[in-house]
Amino acid sequence: MREQIEQIRREALEALSKTNLPKDLEELRVRYLGKKGALTAILKQMGGLSAEERPKIGQLANEARQDIEKMLTEKARELKEKELALRLEKEKIDITLPGKQPPKGSYHPLSLTLEAMLDIFRSMGFDIIDGPEVETDYYNFEALNVPKDHPARDMQDTFYLGENLVLRTQTSGMQIHAMEARKPPIRVIAPGKTYRVDEDSTHSPMFHQIEGLVVDKGVDLCQLKGILEQFAREVYGPETKVRFRPSFFPFTEPSVEVDVSCFSCGGKGCRTCKGTGWIEILGAGMVHPHVLEQCGIDPNEYTGFAFGIGLERLTMTRHKITDIRLLFENDVRFLEQFDK
Amino acid sequence: MKTPLSWLKRYVDIDVPLDELCNRMVLCGFEVDEVTDLSETMEGVVTGIIQKIEKHPDADKLVVCQIDVGGERPLQIVTGATNVFEGAMVPVAMHKSRLPNGQKIEKGKLRGVLSEGMLCSGEELNLKESDYPGAGVYGILILHEDCPAGTDLRDILGLRDVIIDFAVTANRPDCNSIIGIAREVAAVLGKKLRMPEIGYTEKGGDIHEHISVRVEDFDLCPRYWGAVVRNIRMAPSPKWMQECLNAAGMRPINNIVDITNFVMLETGQPMHAFDLRDVRGAQIIVRRAKAGERIQTLDEKEYDLSEDMLVIADAQGPSCLAGIMGSLNSEIKPDTKEIFFESAKFRRDSVRHTARELGIRTEASARYEKGMDIMNAEFAMKRALTLIDELDAGDIVSGHYDLNQGLPAPREIVVTADAVNELLGLSVPGEEMARILNSLEIPTTFENGVLRASIPSFRDDMEGRADIAEEVIREYGYEHIEGKPLLGAATRGLKLGTRPDDDKVKSRLVSAGLREIETYSFISAAAVDLLNLPADDYRRQAVPILNPLSEETAVLRTQMVSSMLRVLSTNMSRKAPAARLFEVARRFLPHALPMTEQPDEKPTASIGIYGAGSDFFELKGILEGLFAAFRIKAVFERSKETYLHPGKSADAIYEGETLASFGELHPLVAANYGFDQKVYVAEIYLDVLYRLASREVDLFAPLPKYPAVERDLALICDQELPAASLEEAIRKGGGIILEKVTLFDVYQGAQIEAGKKSVAYSLLFRSADGTLTDKEIDTALAGIFANLNSIGAVLRT
Repeated sequence: MREQIEQIRREALEALSKTNLPKDLEELRVRYLGKKGALTAILKQMGGLSAEERPKIGQLANEARQDIEKMLTEKARELKEKELALRLEKEKIDITLPGKQPPKGSYHPLSLTLEAMLDIFRSMGFDIIDGPEVETDYYNFEALNVPKDHPARDMQDTFYLGENLVLRTQTSGMQIHAMEARKPPIRVIAPGKTYRVDEDSTHSPMFHQIEGLVVDKGVDLCQLKGILEQFAREVYGPETKVRFRPSFFPFTEPSVEVDVSCFSCGGKGCRTCKGTGWIEILGAGMVHPHVLEQCGIDPNEYTGFAFGIGLERLTMTRHKITDIRLLFENDVRFLEQFDK
Repeated sequence: MKTPLSWLKRYVDIDVPLDELCNRMVLCGFEVDEVTDLSETMEGVVTGIIQKIEKHPDADKLVVCQIDVGGERPLQIVTGATNVFEGAMVPVAMHKSRLPNGQKIEKGKLRGVLSEGMLCSGEELNLKESDYPGAGVYGILILHEDCPAGTDLRDILGLRDVIIDFAVTANRPDCNSIIGIAREVAAVLGKKLRMPEIGYTEKGGDIHEHISVRVEDFDLCPRYWGAVVRNIRMAPSPKWMQECLNAAGMRPINNIVDITNFVMLETGQPMHAFDLRDVRGAQIIVRRAKAGERIQTLDEKEYDLSEDMLVIADAQGPSCLAGIMGSLNSEIKPDTKEIFFESAKFRRDSVRHTARELGIRTEASARYEKGMDIMNAEFAMKRALTLIDELDAGDIVSGHYDLNQGLPAPREIVVTADAVNELLGLSVPGEEMARILNSLEIPTTFENGVLRASIPSFRDDMEGRADIAEEVIREYGYEHIEGKPLLGAATRGLKLGTRPDDDKVKSRLVSAGLREIETYSFISAAAVDLLNLPADDYRRQAVPILNPLSEETAVLRTQMVSSMLRVLSTNMSRKAPAARLFEVARRFLPHALPMTEQPDEKPTASIGIYGAGSDFFELKGILEGLFAAFRIKAVFERSKETYLHPGKSADAIYEGETLASFGELHPLVAANYGFDQKVYVAEIYLDVLYRLASREVDLFAPLPKYPAVERDLALICDQELPAASLEEAIRKGGGIILEKVTLFDVYQGAQIEAGKKSVAYSLLFRSADGTLTDKEIDTALAGIFANLNSIGAVLRT
């Protein structure tokens, strides 16, 4: 009987080791361990054994059963693993196929640039204010030291809407609104649409300016430069230099044009900067004493500076856009390029 | 200001290279618009004398010329021109020469005969009849010069100078003159300005016997200077003067006209010369025009004058628009014998106003508009008389008129150096400030910390500390300004006004997969017609722009849909398969037309969508999402907008106000725009949305503790019954335990009676107090069925 058990065990283990299919495994389990299986059959014969032999044979049979069961379990796990690996292999996909995109929205490049600018100025403590696009002559010109029939009116070709109403030619009128509504210290940025009778590859009849105004005690030109340097470095990189050139605006005195070192060549001179190494980005100056007085601020006590940045120009240099008209044409192929 | 370098050098020594001069002028406030080296206009074109003309052996229309160009042997040149003759002096473009139009000339063969260059016409040399007599003739330009063959044509045409075009800012009218520029150059280079010397001899007689002059309006004409020159000896002006004028782009005419032009460019002061024969009544009256008066100006146009216009009149009527243009009859003529010279200051706003009113713009008016120096009127006249004397162009009659009501005393600006430095943020020594101001011919002293600047009349722009600071810093050098931080509390700035709400709208719409666009605020007046808006629609009352760029940009928009439709149309015509766009801007609603006060500027958004998969419900979903961001749950009613499909459009309503109108574009409007696909648009009234929005912070609600029970309902009802009514009936009937109602199917067709539809809902019941029993749910369902039955909906069986 011992031999029989041993043989069953050997046969079973050998058969199991050769098995590759889960259904064969089940068949073997039935054949050897099932109710009518070989080992069960042996055990049924144990009644004929002596009381002394019975436990020994019983133990032997149990050991054989355990060995077979262990082998069955192992084999089952092995087969399952193989099967899974096979299935995963079959489920393989081409991962280089394109990803599925939900419909993508995007901001207009002017909005992207504006938002970046506002962030810079808000971090310096400037409040962002808004005002009307249809302005009275007073806010667009008179209060800015440009009386009627003054030659400075020729600097900007104006769209007229009525006797005293214009589409604002500049956001500078917001300086007046701000000084009327607030008391120094004043620190505001007024971005918005502006309009001039002008249309070509670098001028649009509608465009955007970002007006800045600071009024406080002891405000000077060096602080103006400090602010603009900080701004220019954030926009054009930490190495950017800022240059002031004398200029004229009726509402600032002294007035300056502000150049930055060319971001294409770093100031060596190239096509972008027409060989000068500098690119004009904005106009600025110390608020004209007449303008302060007009708003009820004593120019002997307070001084201020103002600056006006052209958003289109900034956006075009930032994204290397070559024609201003692209900004207002809204071709989807253009808009799609500003997804980030 | 176009400044010929040679002319400039008459008043100031320039010992730096051209580049450096330009650069230093830029850094002290005079941008250089352009530098033109006239000698670069052409190369290799010389005078030639035709020695012999022969017929071309193989061409009837060509001749072969032998031309002396000063070389060892004559050049052989073939030409087709018929106006050449032996002995003629002609311009010869030699081998490897370059013409003003960029054309390069090389030798070659014409019908087998060698041609060593080309004879030039006036046109080929970029000359007009007015530039050189005969230049307008069809054929080769025949030169009338007393110079040897082989002379470079640039020497004859005065093309040797360098012209620097300085941009002069509006505050510096004094620099619209060669002397004004020279003054700045002298200060920049540390040189002395050489003013032209004044000195002439009056030749007797008495001006009062020749003419009487009267100023009636000193307000508009603060100063009027007049002199008379008789025995005019009309002749060409000298070569140096002609060269100056040519280089500055002015055509020399005769000594008298050239002197007035020369003095105008040199001093900036426009001069006017009247033929005394034509001054009727020998009277000059400076007065306002009378109502009904007319004038025929030099350009042979007639103008009606009004009482706010200043004229120079004679005994019979206006002969000159003051500071703008003379009349046809009083102009200098070739046989003029006696002239009256005028040099005046007219008020700039008056000249500007009149010029604009009449639509005339001349060199003189442009100068007067910018403002003339009252003292310069006298200097310019004396300079002109000096030149008359120097050129022996006539005899100056003794005496002159200088009519004014007192000349302004020199103004003084007194300011401490410290106050100037405060504005600059520097510590420039007071002595240095005084030195700079003196170099600009602003006589200044510095004592005990105080600057006293005596402001010359040509610096009317200077008023106080800020102006002194500007003069100092532009010469001292802006490179000394170093960036400093702003003082004061560093708090983060706030976004004010509607900007935070605008940002939220944009962010929502971008998240919904829409792309932002930017369009002009002005549109065509016909845009509302394309939208088929009713005749009495308020949006037809748009603010017109009085001087629009074009019809396409003639009015301020009262709605934003039409701008959106134009953009969609552009994209569709460019074959973009789909577009999903939005814009946030303002529309402009006038209170009345014509406008007397500012219009309402209402924040508004538009959405435009076309392409596969787009439909009404996509757009509705986007709007619902947008409103949700403002805690608003709108109800939807059919829209009455005429530009929308009446069956596939809606108005979103909240608290009785319309938040948006949207839907499929009406087929007639779609046809107006040439759309060949379905287009969905929305106009969103952001002002209403912002006003009605709830701005409360979201409060947490406890998560449900008990399970939910789901029941599906399939209903049959009339096909016209809106789903919203069904949902309302269900909600009201379901009571508090009905948590959620979700529509999952709408069906019409086979198996359903005609005129009916099947609508299926999934209902979710839940109680906060415990697990629901079947009985509780059945009670709720009974309520729901009762409600549904009352509106004609029954369970589908």
